[in-house]
Amino acid sequence: MSDFLYFFTFQDSSIAFVVIGIILLGVGSAYVGTYSFLDKKALLGDAISHAVLPGICLGFILAGTKNPVYIVSGAFFSGALATFLTSWLRKNTRLSEDAIIASILSIFFGFGIVLLTVIQKSGNPEMAGLNQFIFGNAIAILEEDLWIYGGLAVFIILSLSIFQKEFSLLVFNAEYGKAIGYPMGLIRLVFNVLMILSVVIGIQAIGVVLMAALLITPGAAARFWTDKLGNLVILAGIFSAVSGVMGTYISFVLPQMPTGPWVVVFLSFLALISFLFAPKRGVLSRYISRRSYLKKTHQDHLLKALYRALEAGKKNMTIEEIYEAYPFQKRESDQSIDNLISNGLIIKNQSIISLTPKGKSESKRIVRLHRLWELYLNEYMNIAPDHVHDSAEKLEHILTPELEELLENRLNYPKLDPHQETIPRDHDEL
Amino acid sequence: MINHIEHPIIEIHDLTVSYDQSPVLWNVDLSLPSGKLIGILGPNGAGKSTLIKAIMGLVSPSGGYVKLFDKSLEEVRSRISYVPQRESVDWNFPASVLDVVLMGTYGKLGLFKRPGKKEKELAMECLEKVGMQGFAKRQISELSGGQQQRVFIGRSLAQNADLYLMDEPFAGVDMATETAIFELLKQMTAEGKTVVVVHHDIYSAVNYFDWFIMLNLHLVASGPKETVITEELLRKTYGGKLNLLTKVSDLIRQKEFNPLKN
Repeated sequence: MSDFLYFFTFQDSSIAFVVIGIILLGVGSAYVGTYSFLDKKALLGDAISHAVLPGICLGFILAGTKNPVYIVSGAFFSGALATFLTSWLRKNTRLSEDAIIASILSIFFGFGIVLLTVIQKSGNPEMAGLNQFIFGNAIAILEEDLWIYGGLAVFIILSLSIFQKEFSLLVFNAEYGKAIGYPMGLIRLVFNVLMILSVVIGIQAIGVVLMAALLITPGAAARFWTDKLGNLVILAGIFSAVSGVMGTYISFVLPQMPTGPWVVVFLSFLALISFLFAPKRGVLSRYISRRSYLKKTHQDHLLKALYRALEAGKKNMTIEEIYEAYPFQKRESDQSIDNLISNGLIIKNQSIISLTPKGKSESKRIVRLHRLWELYLNEYMNIAPDHVHDSAEKLEHILTPELEELLENRLNYPKLDPHQETIPRDHDEL
Repeated sequence: MINHIEHPIIEIHDLTVSYDQSPVLWNVDLSLPSGKLIGILGPNGAGKSTLIKAIMGLVSPSGGYVKLFDKSLEEVRSRISYVPQRESVDWNFPASVLDVVLMGTYGKLGLFKRPGKKEKELAMECLEKVGMQGFAKRQISELSGGQQQRVFIGRSLAQNADLYLMDEPFAGVDMATETAIFELLKQMTAEGKTVVVVHHDIYSAVNYFDWFIMLNLHLVASGPKETVITEELLRKTYGGKLNLLTKVSDLIRQKEFNPLKN
């Protein structure tokens, strides 16, 4: 607990620095990543993040120390080379994109590991901590390195904000952009540079292996919550920043713990919550809406049964007749009856159930939709009368008043359905 | 049957286009009058979309050139508006109808600048013209096919161009939308604009267009309706691909380079 307070009250200025750095880096990479996620280029981010490793090692070999300028430039150039090679191979060979990305990723990463091993064997005392570039360690970042990473993150966020309109055009409809004379090739190049930079700034905090998660997961998780680009970017940034800070906290409490995997754990947790609980798109909300739809169909069927009884000259049904009509669904039937009563559609006297005027009109509406749809299938789609029932049984619950109007117009307010049953209307005598 | 005219709005000279080395358009040579509603007809894979993409500079030809308003594309780009195929974009992109129509103002706006009040008013006007003013705030993922098409046409209207090139604006739209779009296009040509439309349905095409371009990998015909809608030309257009031409295309594809490229 005292660790927790010490960390989050930022008594230690170096912790405050790291936290600010990780927030900037998280927001920047989530921002770029959201666009590349929307552009369906998520895998490219993964390839780039693995591909920066040989550059980091070469930068170290050239500088002889962990000089951040050498390392950042090395990482940038090897990331850029990987990106360039990917698009060059796509243009000039018949290899498919997934094969190209998989090869680039493994070749660059393999080469990087070879270089890393060579450096370790060389016995250079400076090389301690170079392993951190694989899985990241936010706490070990020096203050002067943070200035570089933070500065680059700010640069990324500003560039994306300034070019928002251009990047949206690139992702949504690049061809149109080209047609109105925008330099789409150049815009794509700028975007790729920003993407490489966002990988580069994350290598020390998150590590090359998991950096792709920080690019793509925030946008993918945020997509469950919103349909607006502005909100999407902000939410992705928040997810990323929160996970980044939590991952850093774990590295602080347990010094041997790499930051990257923990950031990914928190990110995955947020993604899981989004997947399960987001309104509309979440699993839970889809489950609930399906449940309530099934409930409604059951109630609709009860009303229909009461209406058919009316057609047969019976003013009501006993509850036993209803149970018989829906065997093994006694509980559902009871629930539907209760709901229909509280909505004022039916009344229950002892065990006798009958429709209220409101319920009668509603039951007519459902039967009407059912029979109109049957007639439409029969007349316009040439489907035999004994084949139309199943489809009508499903569509009667979802056809809207506008579609009802259209059907009535199209079929010219018909009297009978294909089975010669009356299509009921509100002003009927029944 | 190829009618050439004086002072054409579009002049296409010996245009050949190849994809992955295999030629999809052979030596198209035609000229088009202004102020007309022009239909591009042809079977699937005849090169209809490729022709307007080549006019728009979106694919580079392996031979020939295109002139618009007697100038090169770059000089007159702001006077031309392109409507891509509806299926060419991902409609799940998080944007509103207004956002998409605003893209029509980007050309005049240029890089860096963001659309302001003036642009939004123009976009709303264009939405009204396509009957979508009530949908401005709606997310594009919620639109029907016909509504998506109207949004694309609304976007191109926002460019306020003189020449419109539309790729299958009637594809996958309901009858009511088809009629509404057609009325709008007719009104545009009445105002002196030229509209070139890729179209797949030969039956409705005869009622819609004043001038026809008929393609089947090569140019079969280009001319006013009365002269080119003949049984013979339609048979040439739709009666299967030329056997020999297909064989030559296959031969070229098997080479490791494109012999048609300079």
